[in-house]
Amino acid sequence: MNDYTEAEVQRAMAEDLDIAEQGITVVRSDVGLVLRGEVESPHRRDEIVRMVHGRFPGIEIAADIGVTRAAAPTEAEELA
Amino acid sequence: MIRIAAVGDVHIDRDVLGRFRPALEELPDRADVLLLAGDLTRHGTEEEAKCVATEFGGLGVPVIAVLGNHDHHCDEVPGVLAALTDAGITVLEGDSTVLDIDGTRLGVAGVKGFGGGFAGRCASEFGEPEMKAFVRTTGTVAEQLGAALRDLDCDVRVALTHYAPVPDTLAGEPLEIYPFLGSYLLGQAIDSAPTDLAVHGHAHHGTERGRTPGGVRVRNVAHPVIKQAYSVFNLAREHVSPSAASGI
Repeated sequence: MNDYTEAEVQRAMAEDLDIAEQGITVVRSDVGLVLRGEVESPHRRDEIVRMVHGRFPGIEIAADIGVTRAAAPTEAEELA
Repeated sequence: MIRIAAVGDVHIDRDVLGRFRPALEELPDRADVLLLAGDLTRHGTEEEAKCVATEFGGLGVPVIAVLGNHDHHCDEVPGVLAALTDAGITVLEGDSTVLDIDGTRLGVAGVKGFGGGFAGRCASEFGEPEMKAFVRTTGTVAEQLGAALRDLDCDVRVALTHYAPVPDTLAGEPLEIYPFLGSYLLGQAIDSAPTDLAVHGHAHHGTERGRTPGGVRVRNVAHPVIKQAYSVFNLAREHVSPSAASGI
């Protein structure tokens, strides 16, 4: 695990058309990589983990990826 | 008062269909207009744009959008635009639109924008052709935005971009990527007119609130930032631009 691998993972998440995610942060840990951020669906989170596992076998991957909430706002901002 | 709802970076594809709709159905009770600040699709296919049209079409309030960098990725912009406009969504790129909302004219000027960075750390039109083209692109779209804002004949003036016009709303993003997230030229364009509010997306790890050097409120409405289907901004009637209020 080095700088080049970290960069490759970052680019793969953006450039793989089944992923196209630029908002996931790659963080190096003692044992591998932590993928951190938010996506628009659970399906996308699963796709990211599957792709990174498949393209970078041997690297321990931990995913800390949430799904962004999409509820109506509870209040408006007053811009007086 | 004008109630403006806004969200960006929804990155719609089939897997997201229906997630926003329950909150969007409430829009007519909460807002007069919905602004979409780009990155509407996952990577810019016509099929994804049709999903956007399904999710954001027929809402009962006008919907005004700009595209984002993701919406350009697959080079299907004409198809993307057609899908959105067929659903009644107004898409701006260097132009503007005016809505009459209970007698108050809301003007929205929009452009995708581009990168280049901010004062003290900005790119210059210097060196290789590629570098000059990069900076020139931002200069051109910023000029379009400024002209569109200045030409608006309205009571309340809003700037809609995908890229950020100020660094304030990028706080939380790595400093190294600021030049890819926005440009001071967009802020300068916004300040060239009596703009009441500027709305952008693109910076998923940024923060919500900022101001241009000229004092215009800026809001980053990227979905991962606001963490709700949309934000709503209530612009009080007394906040309308001085020139419009005085009838000049």
